Amino acid sequence: MKVGLEVHQQIATGKLFCACPSELVEEEGATFVRRLRSASGEDRYVDAAAAFQASRGLSYRYTDGPSSCLVECDEEPPRPLNETALDVALTMALLLESRPVDEIEVMRKIVVDGSNTSGFQRTALIAVGGRLEVGGTTHEILSICLEEDAARKVGGDRSEVAFRLDRLGIPLVEIATGPTITSGAEAREVALEIGALLRSTRRVRRGIGTIREDLNVSIEGGHRIEIKGVQELRLLGEYVAREERRQQLLLGWREELRARGARVDPTVIDVGAELTGATQGPVASALHGGGVALALRLPGFAGLLSTPASTDERLGRELADHARAAGVGGIVHSDETTAAALAGGVADRLRDALKLDAHDAFVLVADRSEAKVRRALAAVAKRAQAALEGVPGETRDPLPDGRSRYSRPLPGRDRLYPETDVPPIPVSPERLARLRASLPERPAASRARLAREHGLAPELVRQIVYGGELDRFDELVERGRSAGAVARLLIQELPAVPPRPDGPPFEPSVELLDGLLRATESGAFSKEGIPAVLAELAAGRTTVDDAVHRAGLHRAGADELARVVEQVVGQQIELVRQRGEAAFSPLMGDVMRQLRGRRDGREIADELRRAIARRLAEPSH
Amino acid sequence: MTSEGTSPDPWEVLRTLPLGQRVELTDEQGTTWSGTVLPSHELSGPRVLTLKLETGYNVGIRIGPQVRYRRLGGPPAPAEVVTARPSGPPTGAGAIELLTTGGTIASRVDYETGGVRPIAGQDELLDFYPELRAEGTVRITPVLDVLSENLTPPDWLTLAGKAVEAFGRGAQGVVITHGTDTMGFTSAALSFLLVDLPGPVVLVGAQRSPDRPSSDGPSNLHAAARLARDRRIGEVVVVMHEGLSDDRFAVHRGTWVRKMHSTRRDAFVSRNGPPLGSIDANEIHLGPWVRPPASGPARLDGPLDARGALLSFYPGLPASRARQFAEGHRGIVLAGTGLGHVATEHLGWIREATARGVVVAMTTQCLEGIVDPFVYATGRELLRAGVTYLDDLLPETAYVKLLWALGHASSPDAVRELLLRDRAGEFLRRRTAGVPP
Repeated sequence: MKVGLEVHQQIATGKLFCACPSELVEEEGATFVRRLRSASGEDRYVDAAAAFQASRGLSYRYTDGPSSCLVECDEEPPRPLNETALDVALTMALLLESRPVDEIEVMRKIVVDGSNTSGFQRTALIAVGGRLEVGGTTHEILSICLEEDAARKVGGDRSEVAFRLDRLGIPLVEIATGPTITSGAEAREVALEIGALLRSTRRVRRGIGTIREDLNVSIEGGHRIEIKGVQELRLLGEYVAREERRQQLLLGWREELRARGARVDPTVIDVGAELTGATQGPVASALHGGGVALALRLPGFAGLLSTPASTDERLGRELADHARAAGVGGIVHSDETTAAALAGGVADRLRDALKLDAHDAFVLVADRSEAKVRRALAAVAKRAQAALEGVPGETRDPLPDGRSRYSRPLPGRDRLYPETDVPPIPVSPERLARLRASLPERPAASRARLAREHGLAPELVRQIVYGGELDRFDELVERGRSAGAVARLLIQELPAVPPRPDGPPFEPSVELLDGLLRATESGAFSKEGIPAVLAELAAGRTTVDDAVHRAGLHRAGADELARVVEQVVGQQIELVRQRGEAAFSPLMGDVMRQLRGRRDGREIADELRRAIARRLAEPSH
Repeated sequence: MTSEGTSPDPWEVLRTLPLGQRVELTDEQGTTWSGTVLPSHELSGPRVLTLKLETGYNVGIRIGPQVRYRRLGGPPAPAEVVTARPSGPPTGAGAIELLTTGGTIASRVDYETGGVRPIAGQDELLDFYPELRAEGTVRITPVLDVLSENLTPPDWLTLAGKAVEAFGRGAQGVVITHGTDTMGFTSAALSFLLVDLPGPVVLVGAQRSPDRPSSDGPSNLHAAARLARDRRIGEVVVVMHEGLSDDRFAVHRGTWVRKMHSTRRDAFVSRNGPPLGSIDANEIHLGPWVRPPASGPARLDGPLDARGALLSFYPGLPASRARQFAEGHRGIVLAGTGLGHVATEHLGWIREATARGVVVAMTTQCLEGIVDPFVYATGRELLRAGVTYLDDLLPETAYVKLLWALGHASSPDAVRELLLRDRAGEFLRRRTAGVPP
């Protein structure tokens, strides 16, 4: 298996071609509706991926806001390229020993799925070649690009897709490796290393969705499959493993289909009459809505659309994904013996009408639009034909469970043509010399420094450096906070804050975290209370003080401590008399229930021991 | 790799390779690049060769004296060819005629120079705008091929003549594709030059070039073609985006419209009032003042006398310069401040000019609103100096009308009378506080 990785990291320098901030916002502004159509590239050929998207004839609804301007609305030409973002990309080139180009040419990559208002993504090749050492293996770097992120999809249906413009134009550094990775685990390690290297520039955005990976996977005898936009790094290995398995299955099915002499009959047959009795399910509702039901014969495919039971992968699902991408809700096929549409003898009637024998399969599509049905069946026929060839190259979307789903054909080189509104940008030797003189600390050096200067355990150091927390760690330590407390906060306590059901994720500023740690240092509340205070901050408290009070964790004064301890000891006086000092443990539990997080545990224990000792010293009656 | 050829300087060879030649370079750092030679960008640095790499990216590589190179075979095979064609036959209705003049709407990116070049002829235009044929027959007549900033008054006459010919051939309406920069001038000129129109003359342009998927050209042109078939209109109008959306278009009277933004799709705005109408996906909505079609035949009512000028007053404009500027002209439109004022030091040359028969007319550089000489003393003095106040005409419309009036009258009084008489619905006469009147 060969795996290549493309890492896309958002850069926190303001947008790439305008003066907007590179921040996502919830506030909404004006709305407008557009359509896109594929335009010819420079060779006057239409790219297959672009033509596919344009053929779907969708409208796109865009909403602007405080993070977008006329440039994102495609109402103003791009402004000059953000020089700081370019410095980040060039710094990556130097760190990866890549060769920067001498003059950068900004290109337009045709993307007509609406995610770019212009119908293209601006992208520039910054450097080629390079190498990255991970775990003793040297991986090849193919290219480093600087490009615009796309608009955020926020909703839509089959005729209109809604986007917010805040993300559009945020700079992305794209780093592509060669196909030198051989396993899912290795892919994850390489991604972590590239991520840490990117973060070492200290100019990257943090949080969910700010770094995304594309995977290119192929096995012997298979074809390159691009799984695009993986956000969950922990699933990277899973996507690779499942894709390997899927391609193996496809190759196995190919052998079986060839052995059977299976073929695809492209003739589309109207089977509406056979389905008139159907009363339930999408097929029935399409027919009752004045739609059509058409079918396709797949001689020799019977039984192969639903095997094998041991995996999630089915040839039938592959066909259905292609049909859905062509605009219908799904398909019904002859291996689905439990499908509602085929119940009550319908399956047999269909088989008769389609003149199928036991080895033959059929695929049925119903929709109110006959054009959509025909388009979907054409896509199914094409995919079924490809099954006879093995693994069709395609772009797939990652699903949350580690599987992936067909999204569109692989894009070709014709998608790129020059962005004539931006002049070429020279990369001067002076600029490279300046960047070379101030290269950031590499991840390995950071790990050594953290272990050396702060005595932190290797695993903790690893989590700080590869978990993207190094910049905050350094900043908090520089502000005078203790390294241990900072590490615990960033690696254990912050990730444990429960996610908010709605609203933006909790992203506390360094100032706030500094204030939190200062408050525990000054004794405003005890460090055991940090999780509770964080939960309050996540729930919207704006100051540490407020959060501490809301959590009921303001430090208990000496009076309150003495009062609670006396009260507990008084209530359990029999126990104290019976068990003497051994009563400490059960009583400590009672006291802590009232004072946890509001006073250091050791101070509470001391107070309790003193109180027990006092009672035991009293003359008994 | 060995260096081909005998030239000691690889740059001298590489710069002269034919476009599309594939080469492999090894630069002085030992990196190998293979791709197709493109012409260097006009803003490229010295000795920079532009290559299109196999990945599709263009890059600039500095060709030092040690660079080695090798010619490779022909261009890489293109990806799968997909030609998008509209489905279904034309749906009938009457023929319209499309006159092309150049501009963004009729241009595409030239990948050889990186600039914008005109669309070459009927086939390419229909290729780009398949929606043109969606509603019926379209005859395409190329008239001019210029960016609109290069158009001159004689071009307006040429265009008007072609429009008359089109109606003479039985066209139900005429669409003119036009660069947006001076489309307002041309629409005003055609408004004055064309009389007895039996159908609409629709000017249309694009603010985004048609080679981008998001171009407003296709939807504007489609809306213009629909309007050109509307039998309720007998005047010159401009059709462009009403807002930022691709599903609504405004219909502007040719004499009221002005480009008010350098880049936005909805740059064209009717001054002093709402547009004549709007077009959405289903319908064409027209307001009450649309001029109905005449029974024809359409006529060209020339000529234009180019001895008219437009001068925008600004604080600090020396009266001596304005006096020089007025020389040799039969008429001058001033774009004055506010209600129609210029600095009082200009009264001298204005008095001299009007005394020798030069028509001096006043408009406002505010663009919205009227000029009125009676409100301030300066206005009253300008009026006494012989200045003609043109109510709510846009300065550009007033300038175009001046050329037309100069072409149709010899005495200054007669010119002034023509200027003040409504000819093409150019005076709005009544302006309201927001709601359409």
